[in-house]
Amino acid sequence: MSLDLNILWFILVGVLILGWSVMDGFDYGVGGLLGFIAKNDSERRYVINSIGPVWEGNQVWLVLGGGAVFAAFPLVYASVFSGFYLAFMLVLWLIIFRAISFEFRSRVSSTSWRGFWDASITVTGLGLSLLFGVALANIIMGIPLNAQHVDYQSLFSLLNIFAIVGGLVSLSMFMMHGSAYLVMRAEGEIQERARSFALAFGYAFVVFTVVFLLISPVFAPRLLGNSFGIAGDIVPVIMLIGGAGVILTAKSRSEFLPFIFSVIGIIGAVISIAASLFPDLVPSSINQGYSLNIYNAASNPHTLFVMLIAVLFGLPLVLIYLFYAYIKFGLKVKMDDSSY
Amino acid sequence: MNGLALFLARFQFGITAFFHFFFPPLTIGLGTLLVIMEGIYVFSKKEEYLRMTRFFMRLFAINFVVGVAAGIVLEFEFGTNWSQYSAYVGKIFGSPLAIEGLFAFFMESVFVGVMLLGWKRLSTGAHWVSTILNALGSPLSAVWILVANSWMQTPAGYSIGKDGIPIMTHFWRVVFNPYFLYEFLHVVIGSWEYGAFFMAGVAAWFLIKNNKDIVMRKALTIAVIAAVMVAVGQIVLGDLSARGVVRYQPTKLAMMEALWHSQKYAPETLVAFPNNKTQSNGPSVGIPGALSMLSYMNPSARVMGFDSSIKYVNQKYDLKLTPSMFPPVWIVFWSFHIMMYLGFYFAVLMIIALIFLFNGKLLESRKLLNVLWYSAFLPLLALELGWFTTEIGRQPFAVYGLLTTANSVSPNVSDLEVVLSTLMFILIYIALAWLAIFLFMKEMRERVSGKDEISGVITARNEAVTGKEVQS
Repeated sequence: MSLDLNILWFILVGVLILGWSVMDGFDYGVGGLLGFIAKNDSERRYVINSIGPVWEGNQVWLVLGGGAVFAAFPLVYASVFSGFYLAFMLVLWLIIFRAISFEFRSRVSSTSWRGFWDASITVTGLGLSLLFGVALANIIMGIPLNAQHVDYQSLFSLLNIFAIVGGLVSLSMFMMHGSAYLVMRAEGEIQERARSFALAFGYAFVVFTVVFLLISPVFAPRLLGNSFGIAGDIVPVIMLIGGAGVILTAKSRSEFLPFIFSVIGIIGAVISIAASLFPDLVPSSINQGYSLNIYNAASNPHTLFVMLIAVLFGLPLVLIYLFYAYIKFGLKVKMDDSSY
Repeated sequence: MNGLALFLARFQFGITAFFHFFFPPLTIGLGTLLVIMEGIYVFSKKEEYLRMTRFFMRLFAINFVVGVAAGIVLEFEFGTNWSQYSAYVGKIFGSPLAIEGLFAFFMESVFVGVMLLGWKRLSTGAHWVSTILNALGSPLSAVWILVANSWMQTPAGYSIGKDGIPIMTHFWRVVFNPYFLYEFLHVVIGSWEYGAFFMAGVAAWFLIKNNKDIVMRKALTIAVIAAVMVAVGQIVLGDLSARGVVRYQPTKLAMMEALWHSQKYAPETLVAFPNNKTQSNGPSVGIPGALSMLSYMNPSARVMGFDSSIKYVNQKYDLKLTPSMFPPVWIVFWSFHIMMYLGFYFAVLMIIALIFLFNGKLLESRKLLNVLWYSAFLPLLALELGWFTTEIGRQPFAVYGLLTTANSVSPNVSDLEVVLSTLMFILIYIALAWLAIFLFMKEMRERVSGKDEISGVITARNEAVTGKEVQS
């Protein structure tokens, strides 16, 4: 198999999903932790400001990912979002509330006002982390695409055991990631608490991942039986290495390594999913022939080529902007009069 | 496709797009004005411009975040509600959306964080650069979103593939489709117009309470000068845009002007009560020959009416459209006409304000300051009416000549699902609108009661500034 435009686009979409889960992932994690890790308003402000200047930029990965799938694999965009209609609406509402919570929270100082938005940041962070895994687990299982690649199913059929375990994997993964991020960026008591959360979610992530892999032959045989043979079976191990690394380095009181290992765990998760799907994008549970793959779902070569050029120029720019924003705000959180 | 599902999908998209567009124009308009305010501060080092920038930036932030949150919905709604549309034109339509994320939205969103929270982190010059990059990002977003929309108005740069699905053949022809530049300039200038009216209105609100407020006096001057330029420019562009419609979308023009039958010396109808059933206008007032003149620079030119424009489109695209498939003409007619009348009102109001400003009488005229405050949000109405005109006027097409809206709907989403999610959107959006207005008015009142724009602390600053002003 030669490296063609379609395969390149498969890899690129994977890279965008990775960018999203690594960078928006710790925003979800920090958000989900907010209700548990901070004891008073000034601590909560401190936690929020650890992602304050960057969450808005990080969130664009999702928009870019959606746009890229639309441009490169329009049939996937059409089938998945209409097939997961209400689930996806729920995601959109969570995103709306999450975004406004950060901005609105600091505008009024009353306890009930701030309590409401803090709860909203916590719930949306937890919800988005959970739904990420629920959605991807369903896709690995295959969804009932018919010959026209249309999927008629209800919201409740998305909530099967495998998908729920998948949701717990991603929930613990993003919570672990958010905790590890706070270990890196916070100081003092918040950092101490973040370290114990990183440890706890590290264990949870390893346990849920093992369960997920063990039950996968029943629900989604392609996860451990993908088209890459033995090499493909080893990939999920990267997830476990990441999780174990977070546990060990959090114990050894390192400030950076838990975050690095958490990123490794996420990379393992994204590559595992990608490897199990390839060359399909959305397998059909009715008939393998109805599946959407990187050829029958793709745009024409001209579009793929133009968009490839666009990404080759645009993605480095994006990374420069993000890098600039991150270094300007320093490693450790500092509050000033323009903070949230 | 049943009519109810089509209505529901349209209704949901209409509500969510209508609400989303409350916000991006101010992001564009006020974003550009922030660059001007902060730029004056950077070069003059006068503190009142820093105060002005910091205050308007707090208002900007509320608007920005709600706009982004409501905009993400639209990015995915093509997939959720319009899956047949997405599958049919995705090979072309998806690209501008992806490019928007890559080249515009990232820049805008990263630098909005740096701009809002980075006052203590960056040098004065570097902070201004962040404000500039944020302000460039939003019109750049508009470029790609309007590439996508204008392509739906005047599709170009494609051919029909073997499977009957259009594929992109020339990327730059997709981008520079015939309607793109008109639409982009019309929308961006309209957004600047709203930004300037908003700033003038807010400044006027403070000056009514205290006309010695030096920060707001200077803000009003900047805003009025900006508003005059864009309001006059917008009239020229509005005319150019309408002439683009004449060439490319004859059915839309006929509905905008409520012209039922083709005629020479076609009138520019000013007031009418268009009725689709009888295909007539009832009692109406118009200027004979003016529409022919505006459309073709020739008062005797023949302008295509509603009936013959449908025949023309059917013949050109090999379709069988009937008049009953078209929207109520009165909606398109009045959306377009009220927008146009507002456009003239904006120019006249700001010319008067400018004359008063130069004569030094603007601050004394409470009446005019009140009118400016009450007009602060009117450009938003004009912008929304413009979208009504262009989107409803394009019906029954989703992509003009290529795809009807009826053939765009997701077949696998039930009516109940759309009803439930629409109700939820309405509830959330009412709450968001209320919160945004509440926070906006709170910022305004707190400033009156002496909240410092820079430290955010309530101080006795107002008296101090007033004192300084009296001395000078």
